[in-house]
Amino acid sequence: MGQTQAVTDSEFEAEVLNSDKPVLVDFWAEWCGPCKAIAPTLDELAADYGDRLKVVKVDIDENQEMAQQFGIRSIPQLLVFKDGNEVDRMVGVVPKKQLSEKIDTHLS
Amino acid sequence: MSDQQLPSEKSMAKMNKYVEKYLEKTGTSRHPNEEVTESVIKGLAHHVDELGRPLCPCNFYPDKKEELERSREWVCACDEMKIYKYCHCLLFVRDDGLPITEYLPEGHEGKQIYGVVEDPTPENGRELRHKSDEYEASH
Repeated sequence: MGQTQAVTDSEFEAEVLNSDKPVLVDFWAEWCGPCKAIAPTLDELAADYGDRLKVVKVDIDENQEMAQQFGIRSIPQLLVFKDGNEVDRMVGVVPKKQLSEKIDTHLS
Repeated sequence: MSDQQLPSEKSMAKMNKYVEKYLEKTGTSRHPNEEVTESVIKGLAHHVDELGRPLCPCNFYPDKKEELERSREWVCACDEMKIYKYCHCLLFVRDDGLPITEYLPEGHEGKQIYGVVEDPTPENGRELRHKSDEYEASH
């Protein structure tokens, strides 16, 4: 089973913006129920895509700078980055199939 | 795991009681994954301890105190729940775990994610339904 990797404000540039592969970023919080609900799906995606996609999570209570910079409001909020740029954004408990379809469009 | 302190027993009891009453009032159900409900109630209780009000824990606020001074929009039960019966935190849902989306305006993220989810108890809840035009004009 793949695991999402926790990323902090100070690590964001290196782990996300400078990543050589697309990155799915989950902005979440400890006491957000839907964030708990989607977490297993994100672990599954990390396993399914392997080396083709990096899946990371940012705790917004502890990393407010990135949450503010990217205009996060409702969580969970999932952003896709490619070559340092945000290329997609989804909000809520997005079904795995819908998430995969979105991700696939950015893997070519 | 976050290093946030656990909420007080007093606030947990207060929020558990409130949630039970509001579930009954609106004819909604707890999420079938109990971890979802427990997390949200802890988040609400934590905000009661921290801020004095049960601010929704499923949003990011650059400044929580400023948010409360701005509006009561995201104090549970939030405006979206009172107007559209939609709880994006999944605290007040149908018994299949889906949030009710049928009253949301077109283009709302809730409808985009979950599609049209019908309300099994339309006679209950939506106590601020008359404010939908005003709410939509301001968002």
